[in-house]
Amino acid sequence: MISVVELRKRQREISAGDTTDMALFVRTSEESIEGWDRQRIVDALMRETFIDPDTAEAISREVEEIIRSSKINMVTAPLIRELVDAKLIERGLEEARRQHTRLGMPLYDVDQLIVHPNKENANVPHGPEATNLTLAETIKKEYALLEVFSQEVADAHMRGDIHLHDLGFIDRPYCSGQSLEYIKKFGLNLPNSISMAKPAKHPEVLLAHMVKFAAALQSHFAGAIGWDAVNIFFAPYLEGMGDAEVKQLAQMLIFEFSQQAVARGGQAIFTDLNLYWEVPKHFRDVEAIGPKGEFTGKTYKDYRTEAQRFVWALFEVYNEGDGAGRPFFFPKPLVHITEDFFITPGHEKFLHHICETASEKGNTYFVFDRGETAKISECCRLSFKLEASDLEDAKRPWKMRYSALQNVTLNLPRIGYISGRDDTRLFENISRFMEVAVKAHLEKKAFLERLLSLGEEGPLALLTMSQDGEPYLRMHRATYLIGMVGLNEMVKIHTGQEMHSSREAFKFGLKVIAHMKLLADKMSKKYGMRFVLEQTPAESTAYRFAKLDLRFHSPQAGHIVKGDIARGEVYYTNSTYLSNAAVINPIERVRQEGLFHPLIEAGSLTHIWLGEAKPSPESLANFVTKTFMHTQNDQIAFSPEFTTCNQCARTSRGLRERCPYCGSEDIDGITRITGYFTKISSWNKGKLGELRDRYRNQGFMKRKADGAEVEFT
Amino acid sequence: MKLKKDFIACLPRGKPEEGIKIKGFLETSFVDWSGKVVSVLFLPGCNFRCPFCHNHSLVLNPEGYEDIPLEYILNRLDEMREWVDGVCITGGEPTIHPHLPALIKEIKSLGLLIKLDTNGSRPQVLRYLIEEGLVDFVAMDVKAPLDEVSYAKACGVPVDVGKIKESITFLKSGKVGYQFRTTVVPALHREEDLLQLARQLRGSSSLTLQNFNPQDPLDEGLKGTSPYSDEWLKEVEVRVTSVLRQ
Repeated sequence: MISVVELRKRQREISAGDTTDMALFVRTSEESIEGWDRQRIVDALMRETFIDPDTAEAISREVEEIIRSSKINMVTAPLIRELVDAKLIERGLEEARRQHTRLGMPLYDVDQLIVHPNKENANVPHGPEATNLTLAETIKKEYALLEVFSQEVADAHMRGDIHLHDLGFIDRPYCSGQSLEYIKKFGLNLPNSISMAKPAKHPEVLLAHMVKFAAALQSHFAGAIGWDAVNIFFAPYLEGMGDAEVKQLAQMLIFEFSQQAVARGGQAIFTDLNLYWEVPKHFRDVEAIGPKGEFTGKTYKDYRTEAQRFVWALFEVYNEGDGAGRPFFFPKPLVHITEDFFITPGHEKFLHHICETASEKGNTYFVFDRGETAKISECCRLSFKLEASDLEDAKRPWKMRYSALQNVTLNLPRIGYISGRDDTRLFENISRFMEVAVKAHLEKKAFLERLLSLGEEGPLALLTMSQDGEPYLRMHRATYLIGMVGLNEMVKIHTGQEMHSSREAFKFGLKVIAHMKLLADKMSKKYGMRFVLEQTPAESTAYRFAKLDLRFHSPQAGHIVKGDIARGEVYYTNSTYLSNAAVINPIERVRQEGLFHPLIEAGSLTHIWLGEAKPSPESLANFVTKTFMHTQNDQIAFSPEFTTCNQCARTSRGLRERCPYCGSEDIDGITRITGYFTKISSWNKGKLGELRDRYRNQGFMKRKADGAEVEFT
Repeated sequence: MKLKKDFIACLPRGKPEEGIKIKGFLETSFVDWSGKVVSVLFLPGCNFRCPFCHNHSLVLNPEGYEDIPLEYILNRLDEMREWVDGVCITGGEPTIHPHLPALIKEIKSLGLLIKLDTNGSRPQVLRYLIEEGLVDFVAMDVKAPLDEVSYAKACGVPVDVGKIKESITFLKSGKVGYQFRTTVVPALHREEDLLQLARQLRGSSSLTLQNFNPQDPLDEGLKGTSPYSDEWLKEVEVRVTSVLRQ
């Protein structure tokens, strides 16, 4: 931060006993006290803005006069800057004011922040590192809105027409998916690192490289770090290992990632492990890389047994949970279910095994790759569908590195409010909002390209390293996400009904998303970029949009937003989901929500909230198989709920008011927030509202007199 | 045991909806029949008053709830046929309803399997349903060791334990798949009671121990009382199973 009173040369540090004829001292933001020097105001104005020297001179004199006449003898640099800004505005120099503005936070806010936890992202713990992250994010967010994005885009964000995700991480891409083959082949040779490691010889070392590389990537991406086919690529290192050793390695892998809450902002690395029971088609005949980064002379299909033993052991660990029996929050295991899965020996046993985890702990994500589809999944539901060129890259899997540069989400209910139930206006407004989103993507892309162009000297050196002849971040393969929140509420505003309550309403919802998909395809062609729809996880966006619409579109919004307005626990239904509260059985939910999934190329997920119930793993396996066979659904996950006691450290099923074992009320709930497990105490108000509403597949009876529902399981 | 002719004669004829009330319908359950995706029907009323019962409103105050028309249920089941393997009939106690066989026949005509939850107090009905091929799986709640005192305490009413034993013996003959289960409540069961019960059930395929849910039991006095820990229950289940297999 450059202060008005420039203090590069600090030869004039004031200390007690110094005699000076200057009456006025300035506390600068560089932790020193300087004598007053009007010229510094002029210098700053000339350096930072485009105004002429005479105006700068005049402003500096006026500011000096204000300070002198106020008779204070100690002013701060930020105050001087504000006084200068006020003078710029008096002259109508708005652009200069913008250029000269100061980014930062009020004292009160900083105090609050240091003392109270952050609720925007439940994956941020509370502590000095977390505070640093939030402070940095706050400034970078302001910077992004002022400097990276045009006013049109920034205003659309501020108004809540759209949401620009991870503004605090403006200088990084959003999410990434990669291959272990990169570190297996090239070792760990990071631009800023003080040492270089050759390719691993032992599985434990490969694991260490993976964890470190993930941590390095976490500090270069805003979101998730996904890993493709982890058990397949580990397999060549596991030959000859006993079951106990394999289990030990699995345990290390899961604990290493789940306990990494020591890195950026004290956050665990949002890690995804893509796993397979069969060796997927596109890797079957690929030459396998083994210890020392050398080709082993075999192809991956020869390592099926090792790959299967490893993935089996991983789920044994998930099943046991952490030291207190709680589910692991990270890394998330995503198992790909394909046609080949069902013809691979042992798949029934394995499906049962992972369903046991789903029932006991909830971790398992079932990713459905039907037909020729292959993908890498990560984040809360993001996936990169492999195209023809990627399947070509699959022959050299270290090439397979994917990134989504940014996610922009549309506030669909907002479009509903402003379209007055008129179809033409509605679709026109969707197009208009989409264009703003595309513009936001172009602006972020330009900014990132500027940073990347600085190469090894720049802030994104890691992403420009090119050990295989192309930069780690392959911009030509990047995707740009367009998400949505509150389709259900938009449909309600427009048709009068929620999507689950009538066929027409549901169909209208499909029509909206089909329109968005069409537009995204058109814009992709126009700009030569990949704009794809994603179901935004909207952990805080669903809350933010609802709050802003209550402000700008009441009283109508009061009838539309979900949750409890009195408590402030308001939200919109996420993405294209059916209402969380609707009494819809899991079959219908999976089937109906699945109808949207083929339109949403960058990833979808249907949640099945289990509540307290502990289903039979065989029944889940049965359901998973039917979901694969009978629907278009892309991905499902079952979410049980737990109560963990802070007193006796035991974990029980269901969300309870007190620990059933020791009776303590010092407890916390655990369940899935959007696409990962967390403690409920860290949730924002909107998500708490949703949690109260979630239909957990209970039986229900209708009471005659007052129509109240009684639940029982 | 032979079914008495007069028992069969007294079964009501005609459409079940004339006589049976269905108070609850859960379209999909992964919990009720291991390995299957099922729908669940809840029938009102019960001849027991187990203090730990968590469906007690269905037992004590069934009139307070609306009936779900059978036709609606059959339609829904038909629509879900690709997904749902069977129907679990629970309650309350389903075997107290004379129209139960007729209800089951209607469901069976859709090609669905039937699982029955029962307390085993009406062995004649159980036997009839199984011998007529109306039921494919039975889950019987065995509430306590098989003596009058323990049973009465666990069921809240005096129970003819002879009938319970009759049901057990019949199920153990293995005409259909079955499962015995016990809801374990610290106030009612010590480990020794469960092992005693296991000895009495020796030769059975399994005895599943379920944990008591203190949220909203029938007996207010049990509300909020601590259940055993899940780990403890798992350990005891292992010992119980080894006794069953002796």
